[in-house]
Amino acid sequence: MKKSHPLVKKICVHTFLIFLAIVTITPFAYIVMIAFGKNIVGTSATIPKEFTLANFQRLFRETAFLDWIKNSLWIGLVTMIISVVFVSITVYAFSRLRFHGKQKLFQFILLVQVFPLTLSMVSIFRIFVTLGILNDIKGLIIVNSTLASAGLVLLAKGYFDTIPFEIDEAAMVDGASRLQTLIHVILPLAKPMLAVVAIQSFVIAYNEYVIASTVMTQGLDTMPLAVGLQSMITGQYGTNWSMYCAAALLGSLPMIVLFYSLQKYFIGGMTEGSVKL
Amino acid sequence: MKRVCLLFITVILCGFFAMGTRAHAEETPHLRIWFSQYEAENEALRRIASDYEALTGVSVEVVSRINIFNAVSDLVNNATLDTRPDIVFMQAPDIGTLVASGYLEPLTPMIDQDIRDRFTEVALSAFRLDGEIYGVGYSVDSYGLIYNKDIISESELPETWADFFALAAEKTVFDGATPVIHGALLNARDMWFNYPIIRNYGGYYYGTYPNGDYNPYDVGLDQAGMLDYVAKMQEAMAQGIVLTNRIHGESEIVSRFANGKVGMMIYGLWYASILQERGIDYGLASLPDQDDGTTSRALTTVQGFVVNRFSLQQAQSLDFLEYILEDANQQLLIEAGNDHDRKLGTRNPANIAVSQSDYIQSSEILSSLSALNDETEPFPNLPEGPIWYNYTTTVFQSIFFPLSGAVDPEAKLGELAEKIRDDVRLMNLQVERIEIPSYVYMIICLLIVTGLIIYIIRGRIQNKRCPSYLQKPRWKQTLLAWGLILPLMVLLLVFYVYPIFHNMYLSLTDYSGINLREYGLIGFANYRDIFVKGFQGLVSMSVWTLSFATCVVVVSFILGVLIAFMLKQSHVKIAKIYRIIFILPWVIPTVITLLMWQGLLETENGLVNQILSLIGIPHIPWLSHPWIAKVSTIMVMTWFSFPYFMVIASGLIQAIPKDYYDAAKVDGANAFYTFFSITLPLVFRAMIPTLIMSFIMQFNQFGVYILTGGGPAADKIGDPGATDLLITYVFNTAFNTNRYAVAAAYSVLIFVFIAIFALLSIRITRKVADNG
Repeated sequence: MKKSHPLVKKICVHTFLIFLAIVTITPFAYIVMIAFGKNIVGTSATIPKEFTLANFQRLFRETAFLDWIKNSLWIGLVTMIISVVFVSITVYAFSRLRFHGKQKLFQFILLVQVFPLTLSMVSIFRIFVTLGILNDIKGLIIVNSTLASAGLVLLAKGYFDTIPFEIDEAAMVDGASRLQTLIHVILPLAKPMLAVVAIQSFVIAYNEYVIASTVMTQGLDTMPLAVGLQSMITGQYGTNWSMYCAAALLGSLPMIVLFYSLQKYFIGGMTEGSVKL
Repeated sequence: MKRVCLLFITVILCGFFAMGTRAHAEETPHLRIWFSQYEAENEALRRIASDYEALTGVSVEVVSRINIFNAVSDLVNNATLDTRPDIVFMQAPDIGTLVASGYLEPLTPMIDQDIRDRFTEVALSAFRLDGEIYGVGYSVDSYGLIYNKDIISESELPETWADFFALAAEKTVFDGATPVIHGALLNARDMWFNYPIIRNYGGYYYGTYPNGDYNPYDVGLDQAGMLDYVAKMQEAMAQGIVLTNRIHGESEIVSRFANGKVGMMIYGLWYASILQERGIDYGLASLPDQDDGTTSRALTTVQGFVVNRFSLQQAQSLDFLEYILEDANQQLLIEAGNDHDRKLGTRNPANIAVSQSDYIQSSEILSSLSALNDETEPFPNLPEGPIWYNYTTTVFQSIFFPLSGAVDPEAKLGELAEKIRDDVRLMNLQVERIEIPSYVYMIICLLIVTGLIIYIIRGRIQNKRCPSYLQKPRWKQTLLAWGLILPLMVLLLVFYVYPIFHNMYLSLTDYSGINLREYGLIGFANYRDIFVKGFQGLVSMSVWTLSFATCVVVVSFILGVLIAFMLKQSHVKIAKIYRIIFILPWVIPTVITLLMWQGLLETENGLVNQILSLIGIPHIPWLSHPWIAKVSTIMVMTWFSFPYFMVIASGLIQAIPKDYYDAAKVDGANAFYTFFSITLPLVFRAMIPTLIMSFIMQFNQFGVYILTGGGPAADKIGDPGATDLLITYVFNTAFNTNRYAVAAAYSVLIFVFIAIFALLSIRITRKVADNG
């Protein structure tokens, strides 16, 4: 049995990871620098001479930042719950049931998403008017749940298929109903994937900009964060970079926290070995 | 069990609740006005509105707006709804499209001599279109000559543009070959602030008819004088008074001015607070006169109020508008708009009484800005106005900063003018409409729906890895399955399928900037247009789009799985830290990181090149060389998408049974081999649909546009740039001329193209997965 020296291997791996970490963190470091920098005009790569908290103070004083982040958190969390439920039941059907049109329907879900939805805002706006969900956070929740679930069904199907059929057959022989099998047998096994679904649906809803900026027209405090952020950058003659970066920084905290708290599900090893690929 | 049921019920109830609450119809006479993004200003208007209510009994709702640029599209969308605005605050240049499609009420009858006397001329002329006045200006966004008093004294200020250039050259201080103090600093690519100089040399925007209306077919860019302008700017560039970096722009000028390194710049007060904080002693003077002695006029955007033609209380709206325009109320608004005592300079009053008030006059800067009101030329407000800006920046970039060889300015400017005229022609293209009886639609719809249903039902399950007895569909399970899938399917039908069909319909109409309200069917004219003209560079663009999508997905997938694999082997705590770092690209708003990358990859000052030069590597034109730009685009987009794959792969790798690895170990495999022969294939198999989806998403990737703007630009004006993806390019060309129906036709064609591609890749990947 030939084995490369463990230390050499470790050094190689960590050099690679550290290099990547630096590449990943550099733009982020810039955002932090600009957010705390004083009197920043452009994004040209100069390190600010003075640092200040004034940008954050202005953010809270001059914009409806707290409202925005509250709206976005609400949209993100509700979308997350709805998407996890939708994805679970839909994927259960696709993965576990034998039915007519299964493959075609699955392809249908994939194909409709090919259409660049954000470019047909005329149609989306009409739908919102017809359903009466214009200027309403509920409307954004519904549309974001659709966007997130549609995309994530494709992802989760692959994982559900890896859970052996024998497991639910065994459960059903023991007298469990389909719903019980889903909830007590399959979903616990699919936890890593459900965690990904939860994070990604939150990210999608939290960052969605195009639809929100079109269907929300009544008032600054009804906007989600992504729209509010964008308004800081689309000034005609200049962008308030410092405030924008400060807002982006604070705005990404909820996602980092969410990721951190869900991390244990896809690294915990609780499912190790029980699932066969 | 119970909890889950409860959750289900709550979710469904939420849905019903959302559907159930419709906007309530108004009962009392009620006006709605869309106003500012500044809350102080909105508060001031609310106070004015409550005074008005006390006076007349009409209540007014003041709606704060996220920014003024959305006003056009939002008004088009909302003009006839229950929640329609009666009065809208918007920019004068934006009224063209709205007037063309009849969204604005002409205010000419309301504009009496009194209003004319009380407002500066440009407040009304900016809103004049086709002989009618559609709005009244409130704030004049203008610019002048900003000078640093430590470098240029007030007595030295130039009289004419010739003086300006002479003085600027005189005041420029060189240290070796690089200027350390710029007497003045201009941006050669810019049209807006340089417009007075261009006028000085004989160029102009659009020519005018004898009655003063703009003639968009008369483009003033291929005039003989423009060549003098180009020569002058090239000369000035050598003298250190024009930016020499091909991508630097206004913000660079301002930041150098803020560092006290610039004597004069043509600019407004948008960064006044930063200049003050930096302790720069600056002044705002009027622009130098033209060399023939006439006054130079700054290109100006006026912001003011317009009235929705579909307002249900037309007379009341006009009355309230007149109330707002009263001097005292204008005073209140302007003071609030400048944040009271802070006097930010955000609003420059169009009302003459306000500009002479103590509030304005007591501030040197505000008063000098308002003194410039008479020396302005409103930005053309006809729908064709913005066409210019689609090309001028890139054209001037290629004239002043050619990448390969010299560019003949005369030929280039001629080409530019021709391109603008072309676009104007396209924009005003009217195609004859056709009549189709309504039953034809019904038949078509029925055919499509039955076709789809048959197609879906016919399909068989062909999953080979599934035991054969499970392959045969069963009716009972079909019912259950369809029931479970139904909620998502309904949402998909509403939010995905309807837009697709609606787009197909729109692509058969003449829906465009000039027919926003009354569009009709014109048959396949849009498609004919696309195919007869052909896409320029279609093949190269498709190849690039395909390779872009493939590279991004493949590289970020392998990288993501590799990292997940490595992290699984490392210490748990270290892995946690790494993971938090690696997910950053995924969770930080994309726009901002794209702009950061743009800065990092900049050729001369970007951090990447600065680091590389430390180890002796010469500057690499990351985003300005056609081929290197393609590579950097792929790298940056990979940077964005690998965290997603990493996270998914982390989950999937957990599920790989240990005995697989143990078996490999027994066979003497090293980590490298284990990764490529076990981890990667297994993860790949579970992720096929997601990979196809990501691949498709990369086709519709608009992030590239933020990063590179599609550039570096092609040699021929209007051709796709080196990093233009299929979708960004065709949409840009269609939207530049407001031809939304053509954009819809393009989106249908691209949809079909990608759909075929997706189906093919499903087939191929399934075969690979089954064999592998």
